[in-house]
Amino acid sequence: MSATEELRASARPSPLRSLATVIAVELAAAVLLRLFLLSDDTAVIVALLALMGAGFALLQIRPAIEDAIVAAFGEARLAALLLGGIIVLAYPFFLNGSSYALHLLIIAQLYAVLALALNFQLGSANIPNFATGASYGIGAYTSALLAIHFGISFWLALPVAALVATVFGFLLGFPSMRTKESYLALVTIAFGIVIHQLLNNFSWTGGPNGLVGIPAPILFGHSFARPLEVFGHRLPSQANFYYLSAALVALSILSARRLHDSRVGLAWNALRADELAARCQGINVVWYKMLAFGVDAFLAAFAGTVYAFYVSYISPDNFTFIVSVTIMTMVIVGGMDNTLGVILGAFLLTLLPEKLRIFSDYRLLFVSVVVILFLVLRPQGLFQQRARHYGGK
Amino acid sequence: MVTASDTAAPILETRDLTISFGGLVAVNGVDLRLARSEVMCIIGPNGAGKSTLFNLISGIYRPTRGQVLFDGQDITGKPVHRIAAIGIARTFQSSRLFNDLTLLDNVLIGMHTRTRSGVLDALLRPGRARAELDAAAERAEAILHGLSPALHARRNTLAGALPQADRRRLEIARALASEPKVIMLDEPSSGMDDRDTDALIGDVRRVMAEKPGLSFLIIEHDMRLVATLPDRVTVIDYGSKIAEGDYADIRVMPRVQEAYLGQRAANA
Repeated sequence: MSATEELRASARPSPLRSLATVIAVELAAAVLLRLFLLSDDTAVIVALLALMGAGFALLQIRPAIEDAIVAAFGEARLAALLLGGIIVLAYPFFLNGSSYALHLLIIAQLYAVLALALNFQLGSANIPNFATGASYGIGAYTSALLAIHFGISFWLALPVAALVATVFGFLLGFPSMRTKESYLALVTIAFGIVIHQLLNNFSWTGGPNGLVGIPAPILFGHSFARPLEVFGHRLPSQANFYYLSAALVALSILSARRLHDSRVGLAWNALRADELAARCQGINVVWYKMLAFGVDAFLAAFAGTVYAFYVSYISPDNFTFIVSVTIMTMVIVGGMDNTLGVILGAFLLTLLPEKLRIFSDYRLLFVSVVVILFLVLRPQGLFQQRARHYGGK
Repeated sequence: MVTASDTAAPILETRDLTISFGGLVAVNGVDLRLARSEVMCIIGPNGAGKSTLFNLISGIYRPTRGQVLFDGQDITGKPVHRIAAIGIARTFQSSRLFNDLTLLDNVLIGMHTRTRSGVLDALLRPGRARAELDAAAERAEAILHGLSPALHARRNTLAGALPQADRRRLEIARALASEPKVIMLDEPSSGMDDRDTDALIGDVRRVMAEKPGLSFLIIEHDMRLVATLPDRVTVIDYGSKIAEGDYADIRVMPRVQEAYLGQRAANA
């Protein structure tokens, strides 16, 4: 055994300690989130924020703690996944039947999907795409139109809308390849505005009034508009969509992980670091950038479809430029190319403005200040990209 | 089957290769013939057009006139990634690593053209994609280890933290990972002290021994390297080839001395 291997073996925590760490971290996160969701008191919210800030300050000063937690989760991976799954499944039962808390969770989860979608571009490949909101809208409108005019079920509309949005994503990707950096950002901004204007001005999209009466999904005869009864417990109807969006988040995490740890993720990271060097390694930069646009649009359309069927009413103003900027902020705050970080960023930036109503008129100001603070104080975001490991090591 | 023409035909050839930027002719009518297994050094004063020549061969610039042939095939004007894929790897004068990735990831990216998995494989057949990447990682580790065990020991650290000499070494490892037929090194010894340069010469020798079919095109300033490594030396000045041959012959040519030392020194 070499010296470095010995060192690593001694640094490896015991299985029991890893398990304890995993349980403590996950339960603490669940309890804090519950407090946050159910509290109406601004003082409590601010105190929770301060606690979180202190936590991240501690991680900043003592990176060893973060390393230890990451190592513990690596060691007790299965237990972490299992417990995480149980917490997500059981969560609605511990919210005192609050439909508002469930609503917030649904929106936060949909934004988590959107942020993970954008992360393929912004985080993995450093493509500043300001049109994720547009893909979100294309997904929502496609599935809503299919359901309203052709009576197509949610379950079929979901993949169809994703495919339509992907085609649009590629269409956007193609002209974007002629531009770079700030100019590329401008092209995507223009695309987002064009989509918004089209939705606003076509008669078949309902114009500014949007589309109403999108029917709730039905699964095995159970309408998602009805309350959910499990083991004699009655959960508000929002619980249906909570579980649906949680499944979507799980799917997005799985896709994000698989793509990150693949040849494609490596190629995206290569062109993020140095585009010319990437081309010289045989990477077809145009194709990989377009691919990132396609994957982003595909997942964003999933989120759009769930959103449309959840609120049953959509209008162009749900899919504005500001939505895209918010999604981008989530990725920057959470941490480029770190799945957990991006999800945390999405939750924070969805829940905070809702909870801190005093800021509600200053949403954009709030988002801008958050971005500036993060770029100055912790430019890597809440969490950094994790290193890849090969061969089960 | 190996025929006579296979061994005689150059692996890389440029014909009348020319590029001008506005009024400036940076590379002017350069004819090069690099044989299989040959090591050729390109020398010349700063700004002579050596790096521009590399950029023309790797497709970063499109020539104003002339051709680049690889294994007898015209590759002029092909996109950069295609040229890399057919077997021309290179390093850069100011090393261009993927600084925010690990050493191992850097070498793995070098294998991009030797691996196949796409998005759908990664998403729907993760086992297969994973196995391919794991196998590639094993090869990448072997390449790193073969070049430098010290570098291999640091394989899971970020490339951005490497000292200059190791950056060069990692760039060579990344270039080798694509299993090229021609490898172009742009001033591999720049920024190195004598000890590092000696190590570099050793590295290149080892690679030459391990990959007998590989051809080298090396831009270099360090005369110790130029004196020991190449089979032939090509001298470029003001974008044109002014001499070609053995190092011993080249160094005494008046034109070469003039290019390097200036008119007055040559006359003196």
